[in-house]
Amino acid sequence: MSILSLQGISKRYGAVQALSGVSFDVPPGSVFGILGPNGSGKTTLLGIVTDVLKADSGTFQLFGKAGTATQRRSIGTLLETPNFYHYLSGWKNLEISASIKRRGADDIERVLKVCGLYARKDAAFKTYSLGMKQRLALAAVLLGDPDVLILDEPTNGLDPSGIAEVRGIIHNLAQSGKTIILASHLLDEVEKVCTHVAILQRGQLLLSGAVTEVIQRNDFVELSASDNSALAALMLRYPGCNSAVISGSSVIATFDSYPDTAAINGWCANNGIWLSQLQLRKKSLEKAFLELTHTSNS
Amino acid sequence: MKNIIWTEWLKVRTYRTFWVMLLLAVIIPLAANFFMANLFSNGDLKKATQLMGQPFSFPAIWLSVASISSYTSGLFAILLIILTTNEYTFRTNRQNIIDGWDRREFVYAKLFWLVALSVLALALSTIIGIIVGVSYGDTSVSFEDYRYVVYYFLQVMVTLSLALLIAVLLKRAGIAIVIFFAYTMMIDNILSALLTRQFGKVGGLLPLQAGDELLPVPLFGKMIAKEVFEPYVYIIAMVAYISLAMYIVFRRMMKSDL
Repeated sequence: MSILSLQGISKRYGAVQALSGVSFDVPPGSVFGILGPNGSGKTTLLGIVTDVLKADSGTFQLFGKAGTATQRRSIGTLLETPNFYHYLSGWKNLEISASIKRRGADDIERVLKVCGLYARKDAAFKTYSLGMKQRLALAAVLLGDPDVLILDEPTNGLDPSGIAEVRGIIHNLAQSGKTIILASHLLDEVEKVCTHVAILQRGQLLLSGAVTEVIQRNDFVELSASDNSALAALMLRYPGCNSAVISGSSVIATFDSYPDTAAINGWCANNGIWLSQLQLRKKSLEKAFLELTHTSNS
Repeated sequence: MKNIIWTEWLKVRTYRTFWVMLLLAVIIPLAANFFMANLFSNGDLKKATQLMGQPFSFPAIWLSVASISSYTSGLFAILLIILTTNEYTFRTNRQNIIDGWDRREFVYAKLFWLVALSVLALALSTIIGIIVGVSYGDTSVSFEDYRYVVYYFLQVMVTLSLALLIAVLLKRAGIAIVIFFAYTMMIDNILSALLTRQFGKVGGLLPLQAGDELLPVPLFGKMIAKEVFEPYVYIIAMVAYISLAMYIVFRRMMKSDL
């Protein structure tokens, strides 16, 4: 059973088609990244799932049932910006969240500590910095230790150490088997944690599925020798190598199948070129993403 | 419902604006009633009041208190407008839904305030009636003519329904309060006067005028002979206005993007 299943969700804001016929499934236990540039419809999609926005057409299910308030109570959600009562302290704001979720206040201390806000628990929300507001929003997400989390740009407004902390939290949650739906335009954020991905562009779903299946991320080899042009020429003759270009002080070679670095090393040595560098690299998600969105642009 | 009331309590428990406004909404009608009773119980005016049928003795006290208190209903309305528009300002209307309230429950939360404040107004005017009646009146406590206080209660419900409607439609405290007072202090009166001139007593059926027709100013109202409907007509009109406002508020909340 899918945690979240979308069928043909469409939403229009005046002249802007924010989402057009988006369908995909989030399997249990996955870390599901929703990727897309700013304005691609990520937040709109999650807003529909959490019932703060109404879809023009299409349906969705949470835990296999039509999404209602009961299901939302067992999901921790951070949507876009932290929304709290400015005049109340962090602690009292979480008391309200806990009350709406029909949970006791006994988990508040834990989540404030996890998010590093415990020392400021009694200060009014309006006195918090942007990063602290975001931390409080994360604390609200973690309240009651939900099995499913929806995080929309969770590292917004955080400093580098905060970003690292949040990544750590997400990583730990993923390790413990929770399902995480993570929307972001920061690709390295997604790259480090996601098992599944859906890519949106201007409201269209470009693709979705397991990261390893849907994104062609041909591994490539970076190598160099004393004579790089001779090396590039030699590599082009290597079986399975489809390109070899000089880039800076090294040669970038790509292959039809997974490259075997030991074989490449042997091949070069047998042909009289001694490698000074040989490194297997992965195409970054960012590059794959840009290629993908670029192709659909043209 | 218990969950909703508890959650709303958590929202206002330490909210200073709420407590200050609530205190004002209690003190001002209390002070206004005592001021009027005091004013008309001393010197020359005392003789005039005797001609008007002892407005601060039972049972006439109920109409007096209801009529005087009805001028202060706006204080409860401001409170309701602030509590409602705060949710839009802080975007907590979204957060409450995200956290697991049904949209319907969010409306119930605001309706809770509407009812709670109306009941407070009812209780307050009852207590004021008894205290003022005992202090300034010449008769013993009687609940004859208490119906005027019930009319006042209905009028507060209409006023607060209008306040909630305006708050939900406009979403901003400042503009909502301005529009609310523009309507209650001017537009309703002017429209009613125009309608009355054109079509007679139908002009008295406008939302706030309907309550006013049932609560004639005791000191002067009886001197002006006026063509009116039977009380039940105004009561039906007020219930209809409350229902209409609720319908629009629910429709708006259930269908719109937050």
